[in-house]
Amino acid sequence: MRCGVILPGTSTAPVHLRHGAGTVSWIPPKRPGLRAAGLKARAAVEEGGRVGASFYDLLGISEGGSLEEIKRAYKKMARKYHPDVSPPDLAGEHTRRFIELQEAYETLSDPSRRARYDKDLARGLRFAFSSRRRFDQELEEKSAWKNRWQDQLETLKRRSVQRDSTENLSWGARIRRQRDGVSIE
Amino acid sequence: MAALASQMVAHVGASCFFSSRRSGFNAKKQFRVRADGDRKAMIRKENNGWKVDFSGEKPPTPLLDTVNYPIHMKNLSVQDLEQLAAELRADIVYTVSNTGGHLSASLGVVELTVALHHVFNTPDDRIIWDVGHQAYPHKILTGRRSRMHTIRQTSGLAGFPKRDESVYDAFGVGHSSTSISAGLGMAVGRDLLGKKNHVVSVIGDGAMTAGQAYEAMNNSGYLDSNLIVVLNDNKQVSLPTATIDGPATPVGALSGALTKLQASTKFRKLREAAKNITKQIGGPAHEVAAKVDEYARGMISASGSTLFEELGLYYIGPVDGHNVEDLVTIFQKVKAMPAPGPVLIHIVTEKGKGYPPAEAAADKMHGVVKFDPKTGKQFKSKPSALAYTQYFAEALIKEAEVDDKIVAIHAAMGGGTGLNYFQKKFPDRCFDVGIAEQHAVTFAAGLATEGLKPFCAIYSSFLQRGYDQVVHDVDLQKIPVRFALDRAGLVGADGPTHCGAFDITYMACLPNMVVMAPADEAELMHMIATAAAIDDRPSCFRFPRGSGIGVPLPLNNKGIPLEIGKGRILMEGNRVALLGYGSMVQTCVKAADSLRNHGITATVADARFCKPLDAELIRSLANEHEILITVEEGSIGGFGSHVCHFLTLNGLLDKNLKLRSMVLPDRYIDHGSPQDQIEEAGLSSRHISATVLSLLGRPKEALQLQ
Repeated sequence: MRCGVILPGTSTAPVHLRHGAGTVSWIPPKRPGLRAAGLKARAAVEEGGRVGASFYDLLGISEGGSLEEIKRAYKKMARKYHPDVSPPDLAGEHTRRFIELQEAYETLSDPSRRARYDKDLARGLRFAFSSRRRFDQELEEKSAWKNRWQDQLETLKRRSVQRDSTENLSWGARIRRQRDGVSIE
Repeated sequence: MAALASQMVAHVGASCFFSSRRSGFNAKKQFRVRADGDRKAMIRKENNGWKVDFSGEKPPTPLLDTVNYPIHMKNLSVQDLEQLAAELRADIVYTVSNTGGHLSASLGVVELTVALHHVFNTPDDRIIWDVGHQAYPHKILTGRRSRMHTIRQTSGLAGFPKRDESVYDAFGVGHSSTSISAGLGMAVGRDLLGKKNHVVSVIGDGAMTAGQAYEAMNNSGYLDSNLIVVLNDNKQVSLPTATIDGPATPVGALSGALTKLQASTKFRKLREAAKNITKQIGGPAHEVAAKVDEYARGMISASGSTLFEELGLYYIGPVDGHNVEDLVTIFQKVKAMPAPGPVLIHIVTEKGKGYPPAEAAADKMHGVVKFDPKTGKQFKSKPSALAYTQYFAEALIKEAEVDDKIVAIHAAMGGGTGLNYFQKKFPDRCFDVGIAEQHAVTFAAGLATEGLKPFCAIYSSFLQRGYDQVVHDVDLQKIPVRFALDRAGLVGADGPTHCGAFDITYMACLPNMVVMAPADEAELMHMIATAAAIDDRPSCFRFPRGSGIGVPLPLNNKGIPLEIGKGRILMEGNRVALLGYGSMVQTCVKAADSLRNHGITATVADARFCKPLDAELIRSLANEHEILITVEEGSIGGFGSHVCHFLTLNGLLDKNLKLRSMVLPDRYIDHGSPQDQIEEAGLSSRHISATVLSLLGRPKEALQLQ
């Protein structure tokens, strides 16, 4: 059973969106409540790949950590895992770890991104890095689509009101005028 | 595993169940869906959508059980509709796993079907499904759920919408790209009669590659009648959606245009900026801005939408085709408008959505036999001989290895015609033109004029669509195009829409065409070689659906060209001659074997060629026998008619010969198993023996045949 302890060098595979589940967390959450109970109880999903630990785990700090704590933890970890200072045989793993750390720091140091991340964490969704970005992109695209077709519907509604005015000589307009028995301005 | 996980949730986190973040209303629903508290529900709502567990058992579908007809869906909320969609998915997978049929197309349109039936009032409002293999959810929701286990079987539901079957099936379909034309006809008819119902045509991006779709859109733009066209875009243009090595890339330039439509961020940003500016100006400026917006749409919008706009259809989209709420909103808005004219709603779906094995498969499990729902593994029995299609592909590859002028053309049917194998071997010499048979034929004619040797592999019933091109572009000019007509004769579960009954008739009446049919797979390989060798006129050969009979194949799968216009005699006998054409020769052999038990030795001959007829063979059969029976799996006007005509012109019927032609009856044979269809058509070996016995004056024995 996966316990959430990340051994150095293990990679995290992207999580399949549909099987949103988390790992059992070792770090006692600062925020008590039922959400935590639910989190604790969930086991890792085998299907779809392994799930990574949270950004907080990676940096080795607690979830309620302040910005200072995050910065300090990041600097410490970075010094340890930077590819230039790591032993050659561990270079590959350390590089991967380093990239993960960078992403963790970027997310947690930006307050709005951190807020969003915490919200996801609360729902028990732990995204690996690339899949979150993809998810975001997809969401953005879908909302862009929604805006677009909402506009299109508005325009169509406007046009349709004036569609059957007497200037429109199409067959359909003529028949509709006959059928409705009214001439529209 | 996941099961373990949620059991733990149930036991440990019982409290979190009550304080779930979902609204109280849905939490109540969650209770309803769970039949028993301990076992996890097969269909349940999770954070990011509904999840279905596909086990082998019948899924519990509490909400779907309350829906027999679309009217029962009218009062459902959007959340209910989403639940209904999940239950529909489970039901479809369960049903098709037991019967076989078309799976992933139906899964991709579940949300669309639910939204359409919720918003529109069928059957007064008409919904036309193009091709129709995706209409399984439509059938389930329109009163046929209890009969779904009989789909595609004898006397069961048809695999495609059929007007005879239900009033909710507005138009019979099976060949693609007819939905907009039919829809426009219904819309114009409605207008002339003064009615107010709505007409919706659902067409896929594959069917959009056919010319008829554009003809219809062009006309609908001109007529300006109210019509809704739903373009279901799942990026699967060719069938079955995969080559040997993986998913097929969409053919044709249209797919590129549709992709651009989906992803035009530049356009969106521009409009966003423009909208913000006009909002700030406000008031009358907004009116002007709206006008500018309209022009800008035309100039700057993604290239694909202007195509539809130019044809006169108002383009809306792209829309997430799996979001029930979005779909319902759009349909309601468009329905409420008094005069929208023709509207095209572009929805994006995923074929096989919601069933992981289908999503992962290269061909998306488009057409399946019975399978295991948990894994998606199909139960394919191993036949003793391969399908005729396979033999065709192998023999053609062998011919192409020797002759580099041989090229192959098909119309979006790489798997169905076996040309996927040819494509893998000779990627530059295999052409998939999309669903465009007319273009395929003339394209082949063009290739042939340059000295190449094109083999056009098109199903017998689909070539009907390109018939004028066969007559005018190929036969009239005597251009050597070779036609390989697969699925000739009765085709089983697909039914009359796919039945190749007419190809002998429509090919053999053409003056310059050489028409032949193999009796078995070895003959097929020889005929492919023969066709490759005929270089001065067009030729065709037909072969049925199904497997060979297991005769020894020519060396290396390479056929030897036959002498044109020469048949062969398989069994010598007296008094009675059975002259078969194509796969019916095997049935004649069986009939002759059974007649031996009645003391009759019949001659069995394989005509091989319908045009030119083997005059010598027929003359000798007519002169040396009392009874001559011709058998073919085709309609009237084919082989039998040609033989009859020959005999009359040569005075061979003036003596004592009794001639009978056994053909497919003058009606459409419904879908069913191949054996049932042959029985229904009266072309089994038993029927042939019975005919012989009654002609010999032994009708009682004829009746007693097993």
